[in-house]
Amino acid sequence: MKYSREIIGLTGFLLVLGTLYFGLIQTGPAKYFTAPNAQKLFYLHVPSGLVTYLAFLMVVGGSAVYLYNKSDYADRLAKCSTELGIVFGFMSLASGTFWMKAEWGGDIVSRFLTDMRLATTLAMWLLYIGYFVYRNQPENSVVKNNAAILGLSGMLMVPLSYLSSRFLRSHHPVIVGTEDQGSLDPSLRIGLYMGLFGFLFIYIFLFNIRMKIEEMEREMLNAKMEKL
Amino acid sequence: MKLYSFLIVILVLSSSTTAECRSKECMPEEFVTHVVAGDGDWWYFYYDSVFNIGTNWFIIVESGATSFNGYISFEFGNNLTKSIDVNLGSGALVEKMENGSISFPGSTFSDEEFNRILYINFTEDGGEQTDAFQLKIQINKPPAEDMIYLWGGMTVFWASIGAYVMYLSNKFRELSDKSGLEDGRREKN
Repeated sequence: MKYSREIIGLTGFLLVLGTLYFGLIQTGPAKYFTAPNAQKLFYLHVPSGLVTYLAFLMVVGGSAVYLYNKSDYADRLAKCSTELGIVFGFMSLASGTFWMKAEWGGDIVSRFLTDMRLATTLAMWLLYIGYFVYRNQPENSVVKNNAAILGLSGMLMVPLSYLSSRFLRSHHPVIVGTEDQGSLDPSLRIGLYMGLFGFLFIYIFLFNIRMKIEEMEREMLNAKMEKL
Repeated sequence: MKLYSFLIVILVLSSSTTAECRSKECMPEEFVTHVVAGDGDWWYFYYDSVFNIGTNWFIIVESGATSFNGYISFEFGNNLTKSIDVNLGSGALVEKMENGSISFPGSTFSDEEFNRILYINFTEDGGEQTDAFQLKIQINKPPAEDMIYLWGGMTVFWASIGAYVMYLSNKFRELSDKSGLEDGRREKN
């Protein structure tokens, strides 16, 4: 379909707008929260975190395939998804910091050191910043190989970050797979799903464009090499 | 990016300026009593009779007692209980009680309530409750001042996506310019 990319992007944008309408206007200030207004960040904070996991899992997949068969497409996929993981990871970490300050109070630095969900997510994010910086140099097979090995570390970091609130010390609530899952307020669920699909579509849209740019860059580089 | 670094620095700094005061000088109320347990000495409780939702609440315990072994429990009811172990048999009481304080997190309550009873119970090691006292605490819900955090957090989303779209757009334009020049189809401005 000719405009499928644009339609996906627009759908994502509209879903996020719908989430904002639902979260900020339709539902009033949240009950049972110390910071009832800042709680509205939940509708985009959680989806951005989940999309970050998805992006970094794509890096893991791309890196594994590249190491297996040296596929140029898999390498591009890993490289492009890293950028988006960093963007969505920043959104999740920064919005979480604002919410945390309002809801839990106290010292932000000590929270990052003592809440294992925060610590492991920040570590994962910084690791992929390292990946991004490493890739910012002329590409050859050695760079791609090393980057793929670094990219594979997400195989450990993503589950560690996701599961940290279950098994390690953390203030983050555990919902999925617990008794609380069924008791989640329906209004929270609607907003959460809208935000999640909104960000997912925006991720697909941006990823598509980034892949296109990467493809153009490599084509130009190859053409240049052929001329030489 | 500079804007976010600035915002984060401001948040970190502001967190240190709102540190909680845990010394007895900061506590507006004092409750003094003597207990049957031990040697019947005086016990001092320093606290704030207003529990502000969202702010940690402390109660500080001091005593000159020299013989009490057991624990003191502080209970708001509904299993909202905390206790402090006291072991004064060996004469090490002063060091022990200097740090005698307990806290309830600011999220303990979600609604305003007047004259909520805090039960203070002295229980000896054998399990016998020797003394019990009650304090009336006012649960206060301050108006939410979290709008700035909401808008700060929301700005992060739009600015991040916007910045990334601009980054992609610049990259795309750069590539188009380069490819145009190389093909000799058009000149760079």
